[in-house]
Formats: sequence, structure tokens, C-alpha cells
Amino acid sequence: MKYAILVAIVVVSLVLASGVGQSAETPSEAEEIKIGIVVPYTGLSSTTGIDMWKYAVMAAEEINATGGVNVSGVPMNITLLLGNDETSPAAGVKVVTKLITEDKVDLLVGGFNSGVTAADSVVAAEHKVPFIVTGASTPIITHRTDINTTYFFHHCPTGDDYAEFTLLCVNDIIKPAIYERFNFTEDRPLRLAFLYQDTAYGVGVYNGTKRAIEIHDLNMEIVAAEKFKMGETDYRTILTTIKAAKPDVVYPAALPTEQPLIVTQGRRDVGLDTIYLSVECNDDPVYYTGVGRSGEYSIQESRFGPYATPPGLTHDAAVKSKEDFKSRWGNYPSMMGASTYEGVYIAAEAIENAGTLDKEKVRDSLDELVMPPMIEEMKDGVITFSPDYRESKFVLYQEQLIWNETAGETRPKIIWPDSIKETDFVLPEWYEPGSAPTPTSTPTPVPTAEVPEKGVPGFEVVFAIASLLAIAYLVRRRRE
Amino acid sequence: MDIGIFIQILVWGLYAGCIYILLAIGLNLIFGVMKVVNFAHGELLMLGAYAVFWIHTYSRIDPYLVLPLAMLLMALLGVCIERLGFRPIMGTGKLNEIFLSLGLIYLFQNLVAFLWSTSSRSIHSPYGDVSVTAGSMKLPLDYLIIIIVTIVFLIGFQLFMKKTTPGRAMRATSQNREAAKLMGINVERMDMLSFALGSALAAAAGSLWLISGQLINPYMGAIPAIKAFAIIIIGGLGSIPGAIIAGLTLGIAENVAPLFMQSLANLFGFSMSFTAWKDTIAFFVLIIVLVLRPTGIFGEKGE
Repeated sequence: MKYAILVAIVVVSLVLASGVGQSAETPSEAEEIKIGIVVPYTGLSSTTGIDMWKYAVMAAEEINATGGVNVSGVPMNITLLLGNDETSPAAGVKVVTKLITEDKVDLLVGGFNSGVTAADSVVAAEHKVPFIVTGASTPIITHRTDINTTYFFHHCPTGDDYAEFTLLCVNDIIKPAIYERFNFTEDRPLRLAFLYQDTAYGVGVYNGTKRAIEIHDLNMEIVAAEKFKMGETDYRTILTTIKAAKPDVVYPAALPTEQPLIVTQGRRDVGLDTIYLSVECNDDPVYYTGVGRSGEYSIQESRFGPYATPPGLTHDAAVKSKEDFKSRWGNYPSMMGASTYEGVYIAAEAIENAGTLDKEKVRDSLDELVMPPMIEEMKDGVITFSPDYRESKFVLYQEQLIWNETAGETRPKIIWPDSIKETDFVLPEWYEPGSAPTPTSTPTPVPTAEVPEKGVPGFEVVFAIASLLAIAYLVRRRRE
Repeated sequence: MDIGIFIQILVWGLYAGCIYILLAIGLNLIFGVMKVVNFAHGELLMLGAYAVFWIHTYSRIDPYLVLPLAMLLMALLGVCIERLGFRPIMGTGKLNEIFLSLGLIYLFQNLVAFLWSTSSRSIHSPYGDVSVTAGSMKLPLDYLIIIIVTIVFLIGFQLFMKKTTPGRAMRATSQNREAAKLMGINVERMDMLSFALGSALAAAAGSLWLISGQLINPYMGAIPAIKAFAIIIIGGLGSIPGAIIAGLTLGIAENVAPLFMQSLANLFGFSMSFTAWKDTIAFFVLIIVLVLRPTGIFGEKGE
């Protein structure tokens, strides 16, 4: 009898507990909007991830301070839940699963590493949770066909965008400066060396580079393309190989923990005195500190940075936002935080327009979203997502890093496009092009018949053959 | 590709080898004397780097002059780890020792992340802009200093082990612990000394790594530690000369091998980049050595 009563009490308790749990988790009865912020709070990309989180917190506080989000007449505050993906796909999947299934978030914002986001977005797709991606650049996120991507909204430029705008700048102002100084003829292709992280991000920028050259018919030739493992710290050998390819310009697709090492080791150690390009994620205070004097005259693609603000609709808001961030957190923000900040506002706007937290309706609201830009200049002056792949389009610009004695570091100056530039591009005195200048005295006579050059075995062939023979000898000796 | 570039790559390999040698010797010393594999050795490298970073940042003293202080601090930490961590569990089973050192990894990583965040940090060497010209090559002075400092440490270490009483006592302990006890050697003091020295060498490796312009973060010790393990296995467990040769070999191999593989691919008409395989080279070399000589280059049977 006693046991029967005990069992009955346990069963009743369990039923009550599950019932209480369910009612507390019903979104329609919630008085708050739960947004999961998926960022690399620890791991290799933690510097950027922490920035993204802090900027998201600022956005949520601002929204809540002005009364929250009006959802069909009911004011609701935003509650952010940190989803630390630890810069790892496995951890990303785990944390997104937790955010969706346990924390019952209404929406996800964030995603920085392309490979990690490509993995954890699968969970969001399965559960049909809207995900505003604000950091990962790979276009795969919304272009892939193996999962339902209609819930994904890409609010940051893709690798294609980075490459396109960077190469257009190179073509417009850098190449002419090089060719004028060294008297190269226009038909000489610009020699571009590419150095990229062996991840979805790096491959995306590399593919974007090749596509940009093709689409815009740029007279550029990729003379070297070297991969490196994410988190690599020693680039000397790679850079030495690149130097041997004699590039005019080097384009690394790297993170803020990698780019300073590439530029420093390239300039200081390997003696590769060239123009270094950079992807926007490096417009970060950590990069300017890390690269030191070696980064002088290098080029930085950007859309929002800690130290330069382009003129336009968002200029004043951007300046204020940066100062507010500095007052709050003690340092200027980086690029990636800005789109996450906007991502939280976009989420709020979409929910308000939808008038509900129903995920499908919020998704539809995001599809139709048209809102003014906030702290980053947007194409056509609005934040909206394209009908095909739900990508928003930014105004991207290029900066050149110039040494600042007061700061003891380089600082960026906007050099392209013309409509917003602060100063002209400077080709440094120490710059060395990829190949010898064209002689100016007499035109080079065109040979009437091609005489094939006698092949001289290169050093590397001898090296390769010797090594093969050594291995064969060792194996044979082992058998004996 | 001309021979000048190959020589330059050899120099980078030599520099990398120096860092690995310092780390591997420390690890080998601890294993040789205590027969304990310290999986947290990479974290000692990390802590040494952070010690130099913070002392240099606040005092603005030349980081090369801060190096001995960082080594001393890590030696003291090594003493604490041995005394409070490993000594109480010595003889209770290898699994306990392994789990302790694994626990130390997480402890140190998370402690540093908690205190100083996970953001990467760097310093600029006062000689960062100075280069030495050798023929057509221009080598940063820092790398030459690092190579020279490594050689000085190795010579000092060898002299200590061969010519001093504590050094001879440590060698005796590593050869036969029981016999060393019978000869009146305080083996527990030798354990403490070996851990202190090993930690100091790891700190030296981390400090030189930082000074050469690398970024440091709480997780930086993982890959160098794995390579250090590969080196001590390649060189032979407990063998210091083995660690030196294996460290140099690995440092050079991982820089030269991608070049060789690229040449081989070009020979067969393929255009491929192998530079992303750099870390794989360490384990490839490990496999080859173990197949050809299972005890390592200088290893002895039974280890």
C-alpha cells in the first residue's frame, strides 16, 4: 500500500512538472522575445565573437530602453541568450540545438565562421527557426540546396562581394599606380598571389576572386594560390613560395589572428615588399595593434571600422554608436559586431511587422523587410533581403593603412570609391613589383618564329628525384 | 625555384626546430627522471609566453631580458605542480598521472582565459626592424638571436647534466631510480628539479615564440605540445640528443616537405599546394621513423 501511494505521488509529480514546463515555454504566452546570439565566444575567433555579443547586448538594451518591441499591442522586451559555438562545428551544432530545443528561442542572430555556421544552420533549418546570419561570408548558407534555407537571411557581404569590390579597387587605383611607376604596358596582366584559409570562408573568397576576374574581365593573373590551415602561426614558408611567384599584389583571406602574422612575416621576415590586401573582418582594433608598422600602406576592405567612418546616411549614427560602445566596453568595436547589432534591430523590426512570434510569419516578415540603414551604408539606402538568396547588399569601401605617430599604430584612410574617399592611394617607396619594369627606350622586337628554350631541370626537380631515390633505398634496406 | 629560396626555407625550419627542441627537451627530462608524461607541457609554454607578455607590457623592459625571469617563475610553478600534483599520486597508476595532466590542461587554459580573456596578444620586439644580410638573403635579427639563445641553452643544459652534481644525480635517477636511492640520491628532490627545469625550458620556448612576433592565446599550447610528443617519440623516449635531432628534423621537414611535395606534384603535371599539410608532416615523419625504428632514433628497447 505504501509503495502504491509512493508511486502515485511520483507519477502525479511528473505529470505536473511536465505540464508546468510546457506552459512556461509556450511562445505565445511569453512576455519576452528570446533571441539566440550564436558567436565564437571562445576559441580562435573569440575576439570577434566577443565583439559581436557585446554589440548585440547594446542593441537589445537600446530597444528595451525605448519600450521594447510592440507585438500586436503587447510590448515585449528582448532577452538575448549567448550561444557559444567555440569556433567549432561540433560545438556550434550542440549550442544551436540547445538554443532551439531547450531555450526555445524565437530567432537566431549571428554566425561568424563560415564552416561552423554552415554546420549549425542545418539545425535551424530542421526546426524552421529564422536565422539572421551576420558574420559568415560563405554564400553557401543561403545558396545550398540540401536543406531548406528559406529561414536564413544573410546580413553581411559574401566572399563574392569581398573579392569583387577589392579587385575593382585594385583595378581602378592600385594597378595604374604600379604601372605608372614601373612603366608597365597595359597589356601586362597584374600578378595576383592568393593566400587563403583552408575553410569555407577562405575557399569562398578565393572562388569569389576568380569569379570577379572573369565577370569584370579584369586583366589579372593569379600567379600563386596557397592554402593554410585555420589558426596557422608560421607563414614564412608559404610566403617564401609566394615571393618566388613574383606577385604584384598579395591577397590573403585570413582572420584577425592570422592576417597580422601574414603581413608581418611577409614584410619583415621574407622581404615580400608588396601591397597586401585584406578582407573586412580584419578591420578590428586587434589587427591594427598586431600588424604594427609592417601593415603600413596595406589595403583593408571594409564597411564599418573602429577608426574610419564613411560619409553618408549612417555617418552620425555610426560615430555615435562607436562612442557608445567605447563608453560601455572600453574599446572601439570591430566590423563584425556592427552587422550583429543591426541583426538584432532587424529581428525586432520583423517581429513587430509580423505582429507575432510565429516563426513562419516572422520569416515572411523578414522576406518583405525594408528598413532604413542604421550604422552601415547599404546599397540603395535600405536594409532589405534579395528575393533569390535573401542577401542584403552593403556599400563596401577600401582603406589604406597609414602610420599614426600619436597612436603608435597604423590608422585607416578611405581611398576608394571616389564618392567617399578621404585621401588618395599611396604606392610606398619600398614597393617591389612582381616582375622587372618594361624598358622605355625602344619597343621590343617581336620574334618572327618561336625558338623553344632548351629545358633546364629546375632545382625542385632534382630535389624531388633525390628524395624519391632516398625513400626507395630506405624501403629496400628495410626489406633486406 | 632557386637555391636561395630553399636556403631561406631551411632557416625558417631551423628557427621552428629551436622552439620544438626547447619544448621537447623539457618534456623528455620530466619523463626521463619521473617516468611521467606531462600532457600539460604545452600549457607551460603558453604560461611562459604570457609571463613575458605581461612583464614586458608593464615594465617596458627588453623582452629578451625578461626571459630569465619568466623561466624562473615557470620553474617555481613547475615545482608546485610536481609537489602538489604529481608527487602525491606517484605510484598509484599511470592513469591517475594522465588524468592529472589532462586536468591541468583545462585548468591552465580556462584560468588564463578567465583572467586575460581569449583574445590574441602580441608584442613587438625592439629588434623587429633590424635585419642581417647574408648574401642575397635578409634575415631578421630576432631569428638569429633565437637560434643563438637556443644553442646557449643547450650547451648550458648539457654542461649542467654532465658536469654538475645535481645533473649527474638526475641522470642517475633517470637510469635507475632504485639504484639512485640506494646511492643516497634524494630522488624526490630530483623529480622537483626535473620538473622545474622542464617547465623553465617550456617557458623559454614560449617566450621566444612570442618575441619572434607570434600571437599568443590561452589555447596556443595544444599543437606545439603534440609536436613535442611526436619529437620525443621520434628521438627516443628519455633521449636528449634524440630530442635535439628530432626537433631539428621536424622543424626543417615541415617547412621543406610541402615544397618537396609540390615539386613532386609538378613533376607529374599537377599544380597543387601542400602548405596546409604542414602539421600533418610531423605525424607522417613519426610513422616513418616508427616503422623503420620502433624505439625512435636514439631510443632503447623496453621503454
